[in-house]
Amino acid sequence: MRPETRSKFHNELDQLEGEVVLLGAQGEVAVRRSVDALVRRDRELATSVIDGDDALDERYLDIEKRILDLFALQTPVATDLRLVSAILHINLHLERVGDQAVNVAKIGLATFDLPTSPVILSHITEMGDVVCKMLHTAIEAFERRDLELCLKLPAMDDPVDQLNRGMYTEVVKLANEERLLEWGIRMNVVARALERVGDNAVDIGEQVGFLLTGEFREFTDASHDAT
Amino acid sequence: MEVSGLNAWFGDHHVLRDVHMEAGEQTVTAIIGPSGCGKSTLIRCLNRMHEEVRGARVTGKVLFNGTDVYAPDTDPVEVRRRIGMVFQRPNPFPTMSVMENAVAGLKLGSRLSKSELRQRGEHDLRRAGLWGEVKDRLDQPGGRLSGGQQQRLCVARALAVEPEVLLMDEPASALDPSSTLRIEELVEELKDSVTVIIVTHNMQQAARIADWTTFMLNGEVVEADATEKIFTAPADQRTEDYVTGRFG
Repeated sequence: MRPETRSKFHNELDQLEGEVVLLGAQGEVAVRRSVDALVRRDRELATSVIDGDDALDERYLDIEKRILDLFALQTPVATDLRLVSAILHINLHLERVGDQAVNVAKIGLATFDLPTSPVILSHITEMGDVVCKMLHTAIEAFERRDLELCLKLPAMDDPVDQLNRGMYTEVVKLANEERLLEWGIRMNVVARALERVGDNAVDIGEQVGFLLTGEFREFTDASHDAT
Repeated sequence: MEVSGLNAWFGDHHVLRDVHMEAGEQTVTAIIGPSGCGKSTLIRCLNRMHEEVRGARVTGKVLFNGTDVYAPDTDPVEVRRRIGMVFQRPNPFPTMSVMENAVAGLKLGSRLSKSELRQRGEHDLRRAGLWGEVKDRLDQPGGRLSGGQQQRLCVARALAVEPEVLLMDEPASALDPSSTLRIEELVEELKDSVTVIIVTHNMQQAARIADWTTFMLNGEVVEADATEKIFTAPADQRTEDYVTGRFG
């Protein structure tokens, strides 16, 4: 067996993969905590999500810079090229996940003194649970190079989309009470943020699919929605 | 060009094993692989240069426009005229002038007048992207040009006899980076009129200039495909390991 000739490059690639997995865990925790804070009306927890986003952004920027360095200095090809490209995209999706968690936390802080609807809160809780599971699945599929696992993501996303679409109807039911309606309109934005996190998880799954097969295809296509 | 079941030896050393390969008209095909894998031997078999080495022999077929290059009635000199070659180190005739170098091949095989020779020389120096740099010193010795210019002079000399295929054996490996890029640009320009088959150690060079890439290992062709496929999603694990540097 001939010796490995690019061990420095491959070590850096391994490290970056580890970093993006950690970023995935950070994003998942941020989303879970933001929804918990909103539902439990926990001001301190919401604030910690917002403050914690700097650490997430810092990791995102570090990964981005190191990936660009690899492109410039190491000219990756074949699986390495696909891995570098996948990390670059997954990194960006996870940074956006972090931003959505901040949005949810901020809306929580802005609505803590408004009345709530238990139905809507249960829907938000369910959406939060599902999108966190989706993020976990997407990152696990990436770590394990598991095509079958990442292909499960579009089906996991279906209830999230349904709950998001149903949110508008639930909010309309609150129209008779001004303060409740105000809260409901904000929750519609929260549902949209969580729906986006689900989409980010599916997009990460698509990157894993590209990494494993060498062919990029969208798992779902918003412009050709079946529903 | 189409190669099938090609085997080559140096004495008892079996260097090419059942090689199959195609190169389409007006395309650039790169042959990559680790040192000693048989890349240079393969292209030297394509225009019957291999047999010039003592103890070397070849079996199998090399078809060029449907004609077997190794058929008994094929003239090797004519084969080498139609399938030209540029080597790793620029090798202009050192005492001949730039213009004499450019038309050296023509002088041997034709009865062109001086002015016709000069016209053809200018034409091929232009094709080799060298005219602008040498037009004021056509009578100076070719050996006085820079390495990159000498290599393009060799390309001009090879083009002068109007080959249909140009074999290039690591043509830029002895050149500095800017001369290398100039050669790469030249290959891109030449493929409009000539089929180019290039052996290179530089995988990025193959990625930049080749339409098709053939990966060789231990005298065998492991994989041949469109260059973008070889460098993004090769089918064979050995190609993957080589292009990603998991072995050298």
